[in-house]
Amino acid sequence: MSIIDLRGVEYSIGDQEILKDITLEINEGEYVALLGPNGGGKSTLVRLILGLIKPNGGEIEIFGKSQREFDEWYKIGYVPQNVSLFDNNFPLSVYETVSLGLASQKPWFSMLSPRDRELIEEAMDSASISDLRDKNLSDLSGGQRQRVMIARALVSQPKVLILDEPSTGVDITTQHKFYQFLKKLNDEKSLTIIFITHDLGVIADDVTHVLAVNQNLLFAGTAEEMLNCEAVSEVYGTKAHLIHHHCGGHQC
Amino acid sequence: MLSMEILDYDFMQRAFVVGMALSLLTAVLGSFIVLKRYAMLPDALSHIALLGVGIGLVTETSPLYMPILVATISGIAIEYLRYKGKLYSDAILSIFLSGALALAIVLINLSDGFNASLFSYLFGSITAVSDDEMWMTVGFTIVALLLLLGSYRKLLYITLDEESAKASGIPVFVLNIMLVVLSAITIALSMRIVGILLIGALMVLPISTALLYRENFFKTIALSVLFSLTSVISGLLISFYLGVSSGAAIVLVALSFFIISLFLNI
Repeated sequence: MSIIDLRGVEYSIGDQEILKDITLEINEGEYVALLGPNGGGKSTLVRLILGLIKPNGGEIEIFGKSQREFDEWYKIGYVPQNVSLFDNNFPLSVYETVSLGLASQKPWFSMLSPRDRELIEEAMDSASISDLRDKNLSDLSGGQRQRVMIARALVSQPKVLILDEPSTGVDITTQHKFYQFLKKLNDEKSLTIIFITHDLGVIADDVTHVLAVNQNLLFAGTAEEMLNCEAVSEVYGTKAHLIHHHCGGHQC
Repeated sequence: MLSMEILDYDFMQRAFVVGMALSLLTAVLGSFIVLKRYAMLPDALSHIALLGVGIGLVTETSPLYMPILVATISGIAIEYLRYKGKLYSDAILSIFLSGALALAIVLINLSDGFNASLFSYLFGSITAVSDDEMWMTVGFTIVALLLLLGSYRKLLYITLDEESAKASGIPVFVLNIMLVVLSAITIALSMRIVGILLIGALMVLPISTALLYRENFFKTIALSVLFSLTSVISGLLISFYLGVSSGAAIVLVALSFFIISLFLNI
């Protein structure tokens, strides 16, 4: 079932065209990597899907509804870029931060209900941060903050999780664990995951689909189809050589 | 020991009621404003309120209602320009601050209004609060605190991460306008007791002091309210007994808390 559907979407700022004629479909349960060079329009595409900016042309449908009529935004969890750079002085505990994910669904003047508290516990548990509940955001490492932001996105029980360059600013071991964690969410919760990345290595193992954008949608297919010299050269606009390492039958 | 005689004076009763109401409100509003890195907003709005005083003097209309009106309209304009994203926030605030101050000075010049009354607007005076102003301030404080309490989690989300809050469906622009309008009215009401030149400090100092203790949000707000309330009560007492401007006394107490806390937490 298609949950995000873009048809002929255009976006420009003044005379500068950022995205041209983007047509794509993302289905339920897919694990999608969004690739492309800097300035190629990846973040803009995500912002268009999230309704943060309006397209100059084309149509966006979310869960079968025109985006203009769609109002169940809690179904889409969003983790922004550079969470490790959040204000270090911001006085917010992990528990308080995760609870913010319920803010849009809570009516004015309502307190957290017992069910809300259960959801917060479940989200913290999913992200393995229950032991950090009373710590302030400023006391956490980049990787831990990333998990807190994912728990905040998960608490509203979304159907889709969108992450903008989630591995920026974290070391390679943390990155590896992080992508394993995303895959687990995709498998166990049937959560559709879309993430922006520059790292071709990340897409090799687990993602089910790859979208490559550089103003136009240059590629839509499986990771295997993407990982060849011609496709990568076309997306990044420069001659590419791919070297695959295999350890015990797995790519590493 | 201080005598309770001070409360025999009607003007002191009014000053305490208004001071305590505003200290609560400025502490809570100031917390959101400072954490949004918008600490120049109170200063800009207070100078815009001075323009309201100037218009009030020239047109011989209420020196209370005109600053509220002018600060509210300007606050909405500031937030709208920030929302459009074509100018930097601090540049917008600076333009409004200097423009309003320049226009206010010209209007006050024209009205020949440089007198003791203007001095009290600038630095605050414990004798300046009327009965009407007191009831208006108390009523507004109750409404404003209810609005802030009712939208507390949404406002906090916007304050931490405006883009994610918007993506989750929170009406970011409407809530930001609410925050700016509440700040504008609070500042216009505060100028009688704290003064236009010092109200910005009362919104910024208590939360800045509370942040030094690195607690969670709830405790930080509680600390901010405590510092604000104590500063206002102590400042009013100092003003009464030493005969100095109430605004200056309040801000100096708040500044003392900040400096002590800085040394304790460095």
